[in-house]
Amino acid sequence: MASESPSAVRKVVIHLRATGDAPILKQQKFKKIKDGFVLGTFISKKSSVILVSGTDRFASVIDFLRRQLHKETLFVYINSAFSPNPDESVIDLYNNFGIDGKLVVNYACSMAWG
Amino acid sequence: MMNSEKSEVGLSKWDGTISPDKFQQGALAFAEKWKTVCVAHDHDLPNWSWVSCLNPHFLNLHQVDGYLSLEKMCILRSDKIDGETSDLVMEEELNCLESEDCTDPASLVQQAAQQVHYYDFHIVYSSSYRIPVLYFRGYNSDGQTLKLDQIERDLPPSSVEVLTESKWTFITQQEHPYLNRPWYTLHPCGTNELMKLLMSNTCLSEDEDKVEAECFFIAWLSVVSQVVGLRMPLQMAVLQHN
Repeated sequence: MASESPSAVRKVVIHLRATGDAPILKQQKFKKIKDGFVLGTFISKKSSVILVSGTDRFASVIDFLRRQLHKETLFVYINSAFSPNPDESVIDLYNNFGIDGKLVVNYACSMAWG
Repeated sequence: MMNSEKSEVGLSKWDGTISPDKFQQGALAFAEKWKTVCVAHDHDLPNWSWVSCLNPHFLNLHQVDGYLSLEKMCILRSDKIDGETSDLVMEEELNCLESEDCTDPASLVQQAAQQVHYYDFHIVYSSSYRIPVLYFRGYNSDGQTLKLDQIERDLPPSSVEVLTESKWTFITQQEHPYLNRPWYTLHPCGTNELMKLLMSNTCLSEDEDKVEAECFFIAWLSVVSQVVGLRMPLQMAVLQHN
């Protein structure tokens, strides 16, 4: 879509934080990741870091988590208490909700419906 | 993040619900913010407005004297006719054809010519669940009400999945508590658990009730809006932590 824009090269640091009963991502798994996702670093018991291209939609972060955790139903939300639409771009989210050079994304394995 | 530990402790006993007074307070603040954000960021969206429905005193029907309403919202999905979308719809339709309970094949032809669909959304307080509940209905430009299978085509793909998996606990038709007509509604079961999760990282400990109620509302709608494909401006969530 907007691949020609200058922000195409911009990468966003995302901290993935497991909440509730969600499992933590295993570090070695990151090495298999292609395209926008780069090797992650294990920073604490409950969170890991990924680097995502700013032009990616938030949906790709959700898909990434789904693949890594082998779970279809994930609830993913931003630190300031809201769940972004998967169509939002990662750079927009970072620009609006990034703190200290990173975007904190929480995930849980619960579901609202069903 | 600094105060997350503190607020998590404070919130640990909170059951994820909201009182009727806070609901109304949050609803009004939310509607105000929506208006401001839409003007400031050039979003061409209808405004939310509070609809008052005063009960006769002898009939204590509702704990809240009204509901929040946004009407005539044009859902983008239905009028967006790019290749990607129509392919997707066709694919879904074909999958459906293979399964036993299927729609009329003739509808395939009709579907190609997509119409603009309008939606009305009402946010109503549920006294039994003590949370907001979304009621909605869709209609054509000529005012004809959309049936569930038509609405289904306007829903984001993820919702369609959930809809097939859990027919009776997701989107169902129910009597609108104030209008007493059948509207579609999102089942409120589990919403409080979700709110507990969402609010666990906010600076809820701030003693301003208004902020709290507003945060609750925005967080709640950020989830619910995705289910029905209603787009909430990103800036709605930005302002709340300033």
